Amino acid sequence: MRLQLNVIEIKDIEFSGKTALSSGRLFIDREELRHLILQDTRLAKVDIELAHPGEKCRILQVCDVVEPRAKVGGEGVDFPGALGEKGVAGQGTTCVLQGCSVVTTLYAEEVEGPRDPNGEIIDMSGPGAELTPYGQTHNVVLLPFPADGVNQQEYRVAIKTAGLKTAVYLASAGRETEPDQKIVHELPRPTNAGQSDNPLPRIAYVFQVVSIQHGIIPNDPILYGLHVNKMLPTIIHPNEILDGALLSPFRAWGMETYGIQNHALIKELLDKNGRELQFAGVILTIASDSEHENERSAIMAGNLAKWALNADGVILTKSGGGAPEVPMALVARRCEELGVKTTLGLWHIPVDVSDISGGLTMFNMPELDAIVSMGTPWQSVLLPEMERVIGSPVNLPDEPPVHGELDRELRWIRGAQDQLGSKHVSAAIF
Amino acid sequence: MQKKGLRVIHYLNQFFGGIGGEDKADIGPRIKEGPLGPGRMALQSLGEKGDIIATVICGDNAFAQDLETVTDEIIALIRPYQPDALIAGPAFFAGRYAMACGAVCKAVRKRLGIPAVTGMYRENPAVEIYSRDVTILETGTTAKGMPEVLPKMVDVVTRLVAGEDIGSPSEEGYFPRGILVNRTTDRSAAQRAVSMLLAKVAGQPFKTEVPLPAYDPVPPAPGLKDLKGATIALVTDGGLTPKGNPDRIEPERATRYGSYPIKGMESLNPEQYEVNHAGYTPVFVNQDPHRLLPLDVMRDLEKEGTIGKLHNTFFSTSGCASIMDNVKKMGKGIAGELKARGVGGAILTST
Repeated sequence: MRLQLNVIEIKDIEFSGKTALSSGRLFIDREELRHLILQDTRLAKVDIELAHPGEKCRILQVCDVVEPRAKVGGEGVDFPGALGEKGVAGQGTTCVLQGCSVVTTLYAEEVEGPRDPNGEIIDMSGPGAELTPYGQTHNVVLLPFPADGVNQQEYRVAIKTAGLKTAVYLASAGRETEPDQKIVHELPRPTNAGQSDNPLPRIAYVFQVVSIQHGIIPNDPILYGLHVNKMLPTIIHPNEILDGALLSPFRAWGMETYGIQNHALIKELLDKNGRELQFAGVILTIASDSEHENERSAIMAGNLAKWALNADGVILTKSGGGAPEVPMALVARRCEELGVKTTLGLWHIPVDVSDISGGLTMFNMPELDAIVSMGTPWQSVLLPEMERVIGSPVNLPDEPPVHGELDRELRWIRGAQDQLGSKHVSAAIF
Repeated sequence: MQKKGLRVIHYLNQFFGGIGGEDKADIGPRIKEGPLGPGRMALQSLGEKGDIIATVICGDNAFAQDLETVTDEIIALIRPYQPDALIAGPAFFAGRYAMACGAVCKAVRKRLGIPAVTGMYRENPAVEIYSRDVTILETGTTAKGMPEVLPKMVDVVTRLVAGEDIGSPSEEGYFPRGILVNRTTDRSAAQRAVSMLLAKVAGQPFKTEVPLPAYDPVPPAPGLKDLKGATIALVTDGGLTPKGNPDRIEPERATRYGSYPIKGMESLNPEQYEVNHAGYTPVFVNQDPHRLLPLDVMRDLEKEGTIGKLHNTFFSTSGCASIMDNVKKMGKGIAGELKARGVGGAILTST
């Protein structure tokens, strides 16, 4: 499978009478885009704003971030299944607008559950902006409002769809532009397992894409446009993941669609493929809320790694909060039982930074002796006052104003931490 | 003559303070101007940065016999000097001395708000007691190590006063305080994960970044001999409370639990209960609380005579991102109450 990414560096974006791309400047026809988004009858109206790196601007209630991409050649469909049209992803040529993001935000009148009243935010300048890639891209920010009678779950799917549509719409402007860079991802087909004389170790990646712990949103398009809440462990080509087959689940933590499109661990494995390792493939799993399903998943994922992919080792990452650590560990333990070595990557959601006497993991299996820390999301950072706010604020009487100085844990800054390995951070015991 | 700069106080026991050996271990706390004994070495290490303005001395037995009073007295002796920092010991493998050093350091940090550093041997029991609250540098077993560790103590305490970042326990040689800190790394987590796995597959050495937890094993209690005569209680960490959460049980990192009457009740009315728990979808329990707390089935068992009697309250807390200390305290509290009320066995339901 051969995927070519035609990467165009975006240096600036601005509203204009016509959507076009010229010398790294993206011009956007706001009304045409609005018209496109509002073809979705689940939405009543949509605010579209631009936010630039360095601007004293804070974006509130961020749902997802998408890198603008569009298929420009060969076989393939944009975000197949999620935007209506079904088809393949992972091959052909895709135009990528690098340095630009589509940020979707939620209109909320009240706070939902135990969380920050303004949800996850993005600052475009100051220390908050330095922590996240989305503080350093030119952002097209959408605030869609639900139409009458549209329930919360339908509304959330509509927000996601609006973000994807916008990403395709913008990247289509780069169709005729000569890219700054062409990146080709092409893994050779595996030779007959057992007969290969390649001495490099075969490494697979077990990617837990969603946790069901907080319930699901029906019709949330995650894999080829469908939900995965009952998905069995599945082998997937890494190109499919990078090219829009897999989207961030609505309640994902540390896993934006942008992060999946630029999946750090997959890119690292592709980069090392043929030099230090053979990238044997990706197995998608989920963290179920049922023990039986998790145990079935562990057995099947372990068997796929060993007997289908012939892996010598696997790397595992997780989704969601603390509970999904256990299903990840169950898969890893099964792999170790089969003689497939494991390394796990995780952040420390269920750990209190001020007292780690309860341990750093939700599991305790001596054979899982290789774990990479992705940092603690509970470290605080002081964010300075901003001049402009985009998004729907929830002002609480005993909270400081949302544009003002805020003391926020990394958890509430979108993109400041991730579960896909992109960050140059590790949490240490002091 | 005093130099400008840091005002440091040094704590010593009767032996290092030059008063005497075990026969003087009963002397109470006292303070003397300037450095004494090892304090002279500390003064040298301080150099131009500051002074040992005074030395507090107390006998090991006197301290051990009344830790709280002596600590209060020592704080009262130190306060008028308006120090910037305190160093204590080092105490090496001396048990009582180390307890005193730990207690003094903890108290000045807390009550005077200034940094305090001490030094101990790793097997000294005071390490486990005080390493959470106090920066304790690792020493050998005997005072032979003084010239090595004392300058380190001075270095760390001066940097703490200056508000500088202190490196990791292994870099600096102190016992971990048990807090988690993000550190920037040269390579991304993805790169480190691939390297770690390649080393593991190749049988080469590798080091996990996340140690596995060391939980205290909980041996199960022996089974009940006579279920038919026993009172059984229901206990859950699924966060079920009466509507309004009267005990304000936190939905995560809970510190509280509640005990709620079920006497004479055949079932739980969903309209009167709610879930306060941040770790799972409460929808199904809110619809039917018996999915978490099987009161209905327990009443059947009671009627059938399988169990003697169901205890007349249930206990509940929220088990989400819990802190071990809190959980242990709540566990002891709940178990104590059950025992006091003559409950013979408990069924624990989780999510």
